[in-house]
Amino acid sequence: MRPLGRPGLALILPLIAIFVFAVLLAFALNRMVRVADDIRVNAEHNMLWVMHQSEIAARRLVETTLRAELGEADAAEIALRLDLLRSRFALLHEGPQRRFMEEIGMREQLSTLNQTLQSIAPPSAPISPSTAQDLREALAPFTRFFSRAANKTMIREWDDLGGRLETARAQLRQIIASLFGITVTGAVLILTLFFALRLSRQRTNMLRRERDFSALLVSSSGDGILAIDAAGRCTIWNDAMATMTGQPAERAVGRKLSDITGFFGTAHVQTALKASLAGKDRSIALQPYYRDAEEPALYVDLRFSPMLDEGRVVGAIVFMHDASDRYAARQRAAQTRGHLEQLVAERTRELDEALLRERSAADLYRNFAGMISHQFRTPLAVADSALQRLIRRGGRASTAEIVDRARGARDAIAGLTRLVASTMDATRLQTGQVGARRVACDLSNLLEGVRARQQAMAPEARIETDHPANLNAVALCDPAHAEQVLENLMSNAVKYAPKGSAITVHLHGNATKLHCDVTNDGPKIAEADRAQLFDANFRGQNSIGTRGTGVGLFIARSLARMQGGDLQLRDTDRGTSFRFTLPRYEGEK
Amino acid sequence: MRYAAISISTCIALAGAALAAEEPVILKVTGLIDDAPAHFTMADLRALPTTTLETSTVVTDGVHNFTGVLLRDLLAQLDATGDVITATALNDYVVDIPRADVEQYDVIVGYSMNGAELDRADKGPLWIVYPRDGHEALQDIRYDYRWVWQLSELEIR
Repeated sequence: MRPLGRPGLALILPLIAIFVFAVLLAFALNRMVRVADDIRVNAEHNMLWVMHQSEIAARRLVETTLRAELGEADAAEIALRLDLLRSRFALLHEGPQRRFMEEIGMREQLSTLNQTLQSIAPPSAPISPSTAQDLREALAPFTRFFSRAANKTMIREWDDLGGRLETARAQLRQIIASLFGITVTGAVLILTLFFALRLSRQRTNMLRRERDFSALLVSSSGDGILAIDAAGRCTIWNDAMATMTGQPAERAVGRKLSDITGFFGTAHVQTALKASLAGKDRSIALQPYYRDAEEPALYVDLRFSPMLDEGRVVGAIVFMHDASDRYAARQRAAQTRGHLEQLVAERTRELDEALLRERSAADLYRNFAGMISHQFRTPLAVADSALQRLIRRGGRASTAEIVDRARGARDAIAGLTRLVASTMDATRLQTGQVGARRVACDLSNLLEGVRARQQAMAPEARIETDHPANLNAVALCDPAHAEQVLENLMSNAVKYAPKGSAITVHLHGNATKLHCDVTNDGPKIAEADRAQLFDANFRGQNSIGTRGTGVGLFIARSLARMQGGDLQLRDTDRGTSFRFTLPRYEGEK
Repeated sequence: MRYAAISISTCIALAGAALAAEEPVILKVTGLIDDAPAHFTMADLRALPTTTLETSTVVTDGVHNFTGVLLRDLLAQLDATGDVITATALNDYVVDIPRADVEQYDVIVGYSMNGAELDRADKGPLWIVYPRDGHEALQDIRYDYRWVWQLSELEIR
């Protein structure tokens, strides 16, 4: 950066030089005009000649009177000479001459002599020698007067001339000094001009180089660059712009942007253009640009900047960057993120389930001792008391009694074995060791098989199955698991139903699911128990007095859910009703 | 026309000769003219076409109105052929006037100033007057000495 003082000084020096130059020039001109005026010789400076002529006129008159005495001149000649002398006086009385006479101090004498002259009447012919002599005597002072006047005039004029020459010399000296000053200031100005021109040329060259460089930058830029003037007409349209838009520079320069391609006519772009022409920067990101209907859109970033010239907006420049790659990357990133979120949600659910299973297992082990003490104690006590009686009876026991007691003990032990098996099943379920192998399976057949077995085990029970006539009962399930669930539900229904009451199994479905409702007329499940009914090792109030492990419903529900179905307690007026739900089989996927 | 003019002037000259006793000759023209010398009385000059001229002079103050005859016309009428006019005054003042002055400027032989006839005791009876105020070139001492007053003779050479 140049110091601020420099341009001011560079401007002040020539200004001072110009001022001095002008002043000196005016002064020299003024002096020259004066000299020109002074060296003009006026007729009034010819007074010596006037005096000489006047003296001659006087002497000629005197001479003529002498000749008249000799009879050589007549009255007419004297009258002529007298008139000529009078004309001299007339001349001397006129403006410039009169003033000169005043200057040399002979004005009064002139008037006196004039009066004398006017009083002399021209003599009438014939002229006598005495008249001529009188006339000559009267004229005597005239020649003396003019002789003295000529003398004074000479001195006066020489003084005057000397003074004028001196003045002229002084003025010429001033002119010479001024000319010297003019030469010096002129030299200063020429030098200033020379340096200014050199600087100007250097700057012009620099500007040209910068302009060429800018033009090179603009043309070689990978980004589209365009410029508009204040009226909105295109002035620059580089190669990248032509490539991006498919419009060559020849078709673009000089036209309104909105006429070149419709993209620039869109409200978004127009608003930004207007803002930039109002002096504000604007940018638009990832704007779709459709070159033609078939090709996919380009996604471009636009940057609008005003072009300023000394604070005034003279146009705007627009940079257009092809950001299609970035757009695509962003789209991909969004997809990946969505996918990841899904994956995380799945994993979270799996982990939650695993955690739940772990917790259940922990609960199981925690409750195992309690369960053993509670559930195992009764069969063990039954078996123990039967065996004690046999020991007490000893040899007194009859064979039938021994068989009866031993069977009682065996039954109790068999119950214990089942209890252990169920507990193991539940444990396997809770630790995820049981899997489902789902196939297409007709539930109505399965149901019939279960019903027949249950009927065989409890001949006195009334088990009724029904389903809509045209029901498609094919479910997607693991048949073994489904059978186990149904058996559990039906045996529970038989176990808790009043003697002789009916147990109904109703199979039906909707578009995606099949439902199997198992209902009996047994006592309702207490409100307090409903929430925990499906928990492992829970036995409700109504189970007092009946045998059970407390894991049946837990296992049934677990198996149902494992197959994509569910098991729920229905809210019904009649006894107790459970609904087992499985998904319909919808063909091979 | 010229012949007619000459015949008129001849008549005037004849008439002038007849009245010679009363009317004095005030201008004599000699040299390269037809029928030299030619003599003019005041009446002869006044009979010629008049011209007026407003100008200042170097020997008087203010602007004056002169009446007289254009010297150019006078010479043409006399069929003068020379290039130089030698003017002589009553006091024997003599000066050469180039013919070109006469052709270029309206130089007059004036016989009255501000309506009054010029007197021999002043600058009369005839005064060669240049149109000094109308031409910058004439405001020069080299022209000023050509203003012959008390003009008496013109010699064309």
